[in-house]
Amino acid sequence: MRTDRLALGLWLLLLAVCAVIDASSVYRTKMGDFLPHSASLAQRVLARQVNGGAASHILLVSLHGAPTATLATLSEGLAKRLRQNPAFIDVLNGDAQSLAPIQNFIWKNRYLLSPTVTSGRFSAPSLHSSLTGDLGLLATDLAPMLSHSIPADPTQEIMSVMDLLKPAGRGPEQMDGVWTSPHGTAALLLLHTAAPGFDLNAQQRDLQTLDAMFSRIRAKTRGAQMVRLEVTGPGVFGVRTRAVIKDDVTLLSSVAITAIVLLLLYVYRSPRMLLLGILPIVSGAITAIAAVSLVFGFVHGITLGFGITLMGEAMDYTIYLFTQTARDGSAQGTIRRIWPTLRLGALTSVVGFSAMLASSFTGFAQLGLFSIVGLVTAAGVTRFVLPPLVPVQFFAEGAERIARPMEWLIRNRRSARPVAVVVLLGAIAALLNHQGTMWDQNLLDLSPIPASAQSLDTRLRHELGIHGQRYFAVFQAVSAQQALDKSGNLAPVLAGLKTSGLIAAYDLPSTILPSSATQRARQAALPNAAILKSHLDQALAGLPFRSGVFSPFLKDVELARTAPLLTPANLPPALALRFNSMLVRNGSGWVVIAPLRGVSDPTVVKQRLGTAGADFVDLGHQTGVLMATFQHEAVMLATFGSLAILVVLLAGLRSLRRALTVALPLAAAVTITAALLTTNGGKLSIFMVMGFMLIVATGSNYCLFFERAIPGSPFWDRAIASIVLANLCTVGAYGLLALSRIPVLHDIGLTVAAGTFLSLVCGALFSLPPDRMRTP
Amino acid sequence: MRRLLLAVLLFAPVCAGAQTIPWGLDALMQQMAHVKKATASFTAQKTSPLLTTPLSARGVLVYRAPYYMRKTTLSPVHEVFILDHDRITMSGGPGGQTQRFSTSDAPQIAGLVTGIRAVLAGDTATLTRLYSVGLRGTEGTWQLRLVPLDARTRKIVKSITIAGSDDRVTGIDTLAPSGGLTRMHVTETITTDAH
Repeated sequence: MRTDRLALGLWLLLLAVCAVIDASSVYRTKMGDFLPHSASLAQRVLARQVNGGAASHILLVSLHGAPTATLATLSEGLAKRLRQNPAFIDVLNGDAQSLAPIQNFIWKNRYLLSPTVTSGRFSAPSLHSSLTGDLGLLATDLAPMLSHSIPADPTQEIMSVMDLLKPAGRGPEQMDGVWTSPHGTAALLLLHTAAPGFDLNAQQRDLQTLDAMFSRIRAKTRGAQMVRLEVTGPGVFGVRTRAVIKDDVTLLSSVAITAIVLLLLYVYRSPRMLLLGILPIVSGAITAIAAVSLVFGFVHGITLGFGITLMGEAMDYTIYLFTQTARDGSAQGTIRRIWPTLRLGALTSVVGFSAMLASSFTGFAQLGLFSIVGLVTAAGVTRFVLPPLVPVQFFAEGAERIARPMEWLIRNRRSARPVAVVVLLGAIAALLNHQGTMWDQNLLDLSPIPASAQSLDTRLRHELGIHGQRYFAVFQAVSAQQALDKSGNLAPVLAGLKTSGLIAAYDLPSTILPSSATQRARQAALPNAAILKSHLDQALAGLPFRSGVFSPFLKDVELARTAPLLTPANLPPALALRFNSMLVRNGSGWVVIAPLRGVSDPTVVKQRLGTAGADFVDLGHQTGVLMATFQHEAVMLATFGSLAILVVLLAGLRSLRRALTVALPLAAAVTITAALLTTNGGKLSIFMVMGFMLIVATGSNYCLFFERAIPGSPFWDRAIASIVLANLCTVGAYGLLALSRIPVLHDIGLTVAAGTFLSLVCGALFSLPPDRMRTP
Repeated sequence: MRRLLLAVLLFAPVCAGAQTIPWGLDALMQQMAHVKKATASFTAQKTSPLLTTPLSARGVLVYRAPYYMRKTTLSPVHEVFILDHDRITMSGGPGGQTQRFSTSDAPQIAGLVTGIRAVLAGDTATLTRLYSVGLRGTEGTWQLRLVPLDARTRKIVKSITIAGSDDRVTGIDTLAPSGGLTRMHVTETITTDAH
């Protein structure tokens, strides 16, 4: 009695301490935090591009279902309204307003931004040659447009800056003044939201704003009633994914919980037992979160979600305890009897999951620790806390009826064995057949986006000329200013690569905002008003320009010479977004991520960049490296986990034959499951591998109980009933997950439901001792 | 007698339509529409508010009905400007680069040339959609003044005045809002479908 109270007290204390730790834990959800903790700079660049780079702010919009002229009117109306909304920092639809904020910024600050601003530029001879060029331009058809800018910018600084900042490529088709699809059947817009793609609340609000604006404008536009709005982009995918997850999880988990509650109520006939039954798993989750938080400093969202899934086995512990208690027995007696089996089962799972601790994927290691701590706690609670709380007269009335089909299978197991062997051989043959090609290559693509949405995204990206960014020049610096200086030094190198055709285009943060030192140097290169005036007068000699034409030039240079230096705060939002995605904080330092387009010879570009002190990052290659690491690790973890489990079984059962009797049916169940999952070209995902571990963890308990069962003994029926009930709950819960549209939930649900059921069947066929032991 | 008068009143316009329309925009445009091919040499005087003296240029114009128009400037700088359907190609000039874009990419530039092409093609619909049109003079010496309706185009071109005689263009004056004026004298050789 005293030890019972001690156990209860210690348990409550542990829960209280862990709950405090849980409440103060840091929870993270970015995919980057799930990646290897030893990730290289390049891999972190990859993660950053996946979440939150400038590309994640993009929304691509298509309007279709009316003649081009009507679509153009709608596009203009929509763009005009969106530009007044601060949630949309950049609204491009091809009209004159699209680039106005950037053009105004460049025009106003051309003398600080232009790389051609040097002291020689404003000498009399150099000005004379600029002015002669201007005279030539005035003779051309462009004269009407240039006659506005030449008086203020005779040295054409605006051209130097525009050449560097203008987007590469031709851009979309243009009809009736706006961007359209190639045949004018759709008007296209490209929006940048202020919120990043992963801020789903903001993205959802922005999408609703967009929808509402579109509906109002459509209602006001004649002949536009049939026009439809299509939107795509990372934010759209995120919002839709969340909605699907919310729907699926709400529906499926409530159905699963209801089903399990009804089943357990039928078996236990006691709500109190139902509540006692969830104590181990709840305790396990609370301590597991605390442990992960203490060891890793943060808890990943995926760890939280799937850790609890991986602990599903803890639910079985109470089922074994409650169901195996005989009519006249006590739970205390039952736990003493089944504890050796339960302990070995828990130990097997712990050893299996501990292989995950060694994973270089932070998320995997967290999941491993979570499961281990959770299971140990749950087993401890089942052993020391629960039994005294079970009422003395408790008996699980409904258990036997549930086990009847299984008893039939067990009676006929001799004739069923050859069938199972044939199925297993078929499974092995099928797996050997597509060895190496059965891994899903899309490691990071976990979104439940239907193919139609994917193809819309691909089409709009193509029509708008937005290319996936694959190559980057990357380097680090101790401060933002040093990073901008280095970026400025890299500019001529990249310009050289472009001239020699090795790259088609590049972007650098120093193009948008030169370092303070560079800006000061350009200011120093500008002559003072008196000197500039005298140089200009000399330069104008012999040219037919009217006197006083260039006074805007004199005024603007003087302004620029004494203007405060530009800082990131001065950038218009569209440029700030581009700038901030290229110059990012990295720990205490800074890293520059400069996109390169149209890389024709990666090897040469890599070598040239290396000489200039920058790394060349190929995201395609990095994804491949990550995939290879993952596959390698998955196989290693599975191998080591299986070996460790075998060792534990050997040590626990002290017999190779008995260990194999438990392990081989499990191996058969996993093999058949893997073969089932990869039929019809199906691929194995990261989450299916977790599912395999869960099969082994849960199934090992079945096989251990089977192996220890004594057919015909007084405990026989109760033992079989408890295993069947545990499996029914598992198959029910995970089977419902398999109905989810979210690949992650579907994969793990299908794997575990199929695998644990097969473990039950294989265990019943191969782990049970022969009937001749009926009379001991 | 009364019946004869009625018949004349009713049918005279119809017969006149088939034979001779009283001279006006429609008549001029119908006449222009018969021109299938035209080549011309031109000389131009550009005055600019920035400059004290006008700049001279000379070159060749080519028109093929109804969508193709090319202006080749031979001096002071070699420059080619082509408008074909809705595509504009500009090459030569001081930058030396060739630029290709559609008329809607650069409505201002398009506004400079689509009106001229519409007159050459006799395309009244396009002409009146883009410009307010004023016709003065007689069939022998007419002047067509085009004022762009589009605000963006008006920022760089105030008006275009095309002068002509019968179905030939003799001059094109382009006035910019800044006061710059380009005066182009044209000497045309034409081929019409009547020949």
